[in-house]
Amino acid sequence: MKKKYTFGWDQGVTAFLAITVVVGSFVSEYFANFDNLSFVIQDIAEIAIIALAMTYLIIAGEIDLSVASILSLTSATIGFLFRNGTSFEMAIVGGLLVGLLCGLLNGYLVTVVGLPSLAVTIGTLALFRGLCYALLGNEPVNELPENWIVLGYENIPGTFLPWSTIPLAILAAIAWIVLHYTRIGRWTFAIGINPEAAKFSGIPVARMKLGLFAMTGLMSGVAGVVYTLRFASASPDGAVGFELSVIAAVLFGGVAIAGGIGTLWGVLAAVLSLGAIRSVLQLIDFSANALLVVSGALLLISVVVPRAIEIYQSRRKSAFVTKI
Amino acid sequence: MIKKLAKVAAAAIVGALVATAVTPASAAVPGIKTGLKIAIMPKAVNIGYFTAWDKGAQKACKEIGAKCTYLGPTEATGPAQVQFINKVIQQKYDVLVISAADQNAIVPSLKKAKAAGITVVTSDADVAAASASSRVVSVLPAASDRIGTAEVDWIAEAVGKKGSIAVLSASATAANQNAWIAAMGPYLTKKYPNMSWVGGTVEKSTFYGDDDATKSTAQFAAILSQYPDVAGIISPTTVGVLAAAIEKKAKNAKVKVTGLGLPSQMAPYIEDGTVEKVGLWNPIDLGYVAVYAAARAESGTFKGTVGSSFLAGKKTYKVTKGGVVFLGDPFTFTKSNIATFKAIY
Amino acid sequence: MKSLVTRFFRVRELPVFIALVIVVFITGSANPQFFTLSGFQDVTLGVAVVAVLAVAQTLVIVMKHIDLSVGSTIGFSAYLIGDASSKGHGFWYCMGLALALGLAVGAANGFMVAYLKLPSLVVTLGTLYIVRGVFNEVAGGNTITEDMVPGPINFMGLNTFFGIPYLFLVAFVLMLVVGFVMKRIRSARDLYAIGSNLLAAELGGIPVARRVFLAFLATGAVSGLAGAVLLARFNTAAANSGNGLELSVVAACVVGGVAIAGGIGTVYGAVIGAILLQAITMALGALGIPQFWQLAVNGTLLIAAISLDRYLSTRVKPTSIMGAK
Repeated sequence: MKKKYTFGWDQGVTAFLAITVVVGSFVSEYFANFDNLSFVIQDIAEIAIIALAMTYLIIAGEIDLSVASILSLTSATIGFLFRNGTSFEMAIVGGLLVGLLCGLLNGYLVTVVGLPSLAVTIGTLALFRGLCYALLGNEPVNELPENWIVLGYENIPGTFLPWSTIPLAILAAIAWIVLHYTRIGRWTFAIGINPEAAKFSGIPVARMKLGLFAMTGLMSGVAGVVYTLRFASASPDGAVGFELSVIAAVLFGGVAIAGGIGTLWGVLAAVLSLGAIRSVLQLIDFSANALLVVSGALLLISVVVPRAIEIYQSRRKSAFVTKI
Repeated sequence: MIKKLAKVAAAAIVGALVATAVTPASAAVPGIKTGLKIAIMPKAVNIGYFTAWDKGAQKACKEIGAKCTYLGPTEATGPAQVQFINKVIQQKYDVLVISAADQNAIVPSLKKAKAAGITVVTSDADVAAASASSRVVSVLPAASDRIGTAEVDWIAEAVGKKGSIAVLSASATAANQNAWIAAMGPYLTKKYPNMSWVGGTVEKSTFYGDDDATKSTAQFAAILSQYPDVAGIISPTTVGVLAAAIEKKAKNAKVKVTGLGLPSQMAPYIEDGTVEKVGLWNPIDLGYVAVYAAARAESGTFKGTVGSSFLAGKKTYKVTKGGVVFLGDPFTFTKSNIATFKAIY
Repeated sequence: MKSLVTRFFRVRELPVFIALVIVVFITGSANPQFFTLSGFQDVTLGVAVVAVLAVAQTLVIVMKHIDLSVGSTIGFSAYLIGDASSKGHGFWYCMGLALALGLAVGAANGFMVAYLKLPSLVVTLGTLYIVRGVFNEVAGGNTITEDMVPGPINFMGLNTFFGIPYLFLVAFVLMLVVGFVMKRIRSARDLYAIGSNLLAAELGGIPVARRVFLAFLATGAVSGLAGAVLLARFNTAAANSGNGLELSVVAACVVGGVAIAGGIGTVYGAVIGAILLQAITMALGALGIPQFWQLAVNGTLLIAAISLDRYLSTRVKPTSIMGAK
């Protein structure tokens, strides 16, 4: 029964995306042009990349609130290393490494020390953000090499797609295939549905979770690189509050917070939808405050509607049964 | 003779009438195109200071016959502003007047706006010096060192020119505040030898309230608790100085407080003596002058080159090094003049 | 006698209380000012808001739920009180308004979590956004100033009762009342059952939906009324008031032994946890740790506190009211 409506939700989000784009083109003359679409993709690129990993994590029954801080710490590391003489390429590698290490720390605290992920990632959120300040103090780094910056805000020559589409597309494809067509993906679902049963059927639950946290850290790191290039600077207060946007997108994409349910396409469609609708609302002059209310409302709708459908279906079913 | 004069006069009048009929929507102000579409973007929309800034901008807009829209994010961060800058580009505005929430993060977007033909002027908060080319000019209140040193003068006056002082700033990355604070250090040492910084240097004596009332209050309490003998606190941000005044009154503390304060918010504390003096420039003027500079630049009559000048309303302003236009020294508000100013902003 | 001593050492709140004593001692040694009356008042005043919210949040966390909307609610409430007062309304009217707001948010949350059986993380995240959006729209760029604060609230914020700030007394009394209710009154004790084992609670005849709804309603009401505490503490309110408080509140509860996994922990622990976090922040300053390192150290200590609590909880008898032996 549940599996059925997951596919339903998937299609629902896709429909929502399509409707938003179509309606958007009608209500605002500024929406459906390549320039704007390019911007929308840039706008959601970082959130999408992190959401790919967060999807796995939430399906497995965990959560990570520190992703925005990891993104910022990666950015701060790149800035710090570059400012102190490292080549930009090496600085990027250093930043990604830091992201991975942060993820491993989260994973360690959850799987080895046994702390609840919600609580512990509130702590690491503060810790990683604090390290950003420790690295950069109050001086953001803003003289980054021009040839790299260009990747941050230019489009791939000849198309309307920004450069950031490349890492996003590759990672999304890999994430999709792994989640739905490989053993690792199946294990992730199994752990989310019933960790005890998963353990007893031979799945290395602790190691898997550690890996998922590490992957989330690494993806946050990749997002951090994209972020640094897009804003041509590294600052200790970057991406504050991003984690809520990522989680909201994943939840809107049909991933159940309790774990065990979700699809990657749902999440991607959700991220694109949220970016599109934000763009449409802005272009028809909705105030920023109204956007907050809409975000909250969409989040609520994303859980109320499936539940309403479920209640309706079960009422129909029970009516059917009593007839017999 | 009179007939000839009358003919000339008549011709002149007709000529004038024809000219006004023919000139597209009579230029309300000469040298500025009318009907310009101008975006006024604060760091964040829900901040009282920027509401006043917008008041000035709207006034200028009315005078020059432009259509101005006040828009911006709810949080004062660069990435949030970038979304709105894109909206401005998409909706094909002619001019963008913006207070930079982040001196670096918005630069690529401003460059995009410039490439799309939009005239960009920053006001109140500028982009980093290295990226000055992303905007035509910047309209700022007064030179950083003037603002910083003025505040030191105010606190010195309040504490009787001796004692140790601390600084309650905005966020650690706030470029404006950092520049002002940097000017405070050497000035104190040079001019007030009997005064010192609580932590030894100005850097070690700066606490960050992040322009948040809660955090600023907590930091004020932290200063008092770590340095019970502190004589004075400078807060170069309206949120900080208000929080400090409130907390000082609540705790009946002896420390002197001064800084940059909005007269409408600080009035009760100046009137009852909690705070002797605060200062601020007029954000209304900042918005007003910025719109004029931008409109003139868009109309092609003002290039923003160093040394050039332009007329905003009744006053002329000159462009100084780095493409910056300064309004002048901050006003100070004391018991004697607070009543007048608190009604204005 | 022996059993009393053993029971004392097995009290769940003991570790966090000891941690608090240690931190207070360290802070005091670095800064003797801390041990004075004014130091005491600094801590208690600074912790009042979070403590009140932590007491309410405990009701929800022990049931294995969470309420992230408290920050937006308390901020909006503080603004409404000041705004109504400035328009000439009396104290009780303003408080009624605050209560109404809190009840509305609590009822919405409660309905969706209890009767629609939706996950509380998602629901309260949604209401967080909605309330904040509405709040920002209503407040605009306005700031509530001290002259707009109702008299009784102003009084409460500025004065002390035999040296103890009134605001802290509010939190303290609330803690005692709720603590008593949760231990002695049957319907409140059910909250622990719901958090420990939902199925067993249902089968045991506990009206789960009603309890959950009332708990969220109570949390909402407290957050609304606590707007007065926020306003009293800072004598100002604006569009960004209350932003981010929810994380501090959850952290305080967790550190104080109220496990995210539900079924365990008391309001006493939550308040001690709030005080501990406040004391740590003050300790960092007193010890002269450079500003730019303070946040990182704060985060590390938070993780350490959670780890310690977790470690000790495996060694300590849980004060689950269901009488675990």
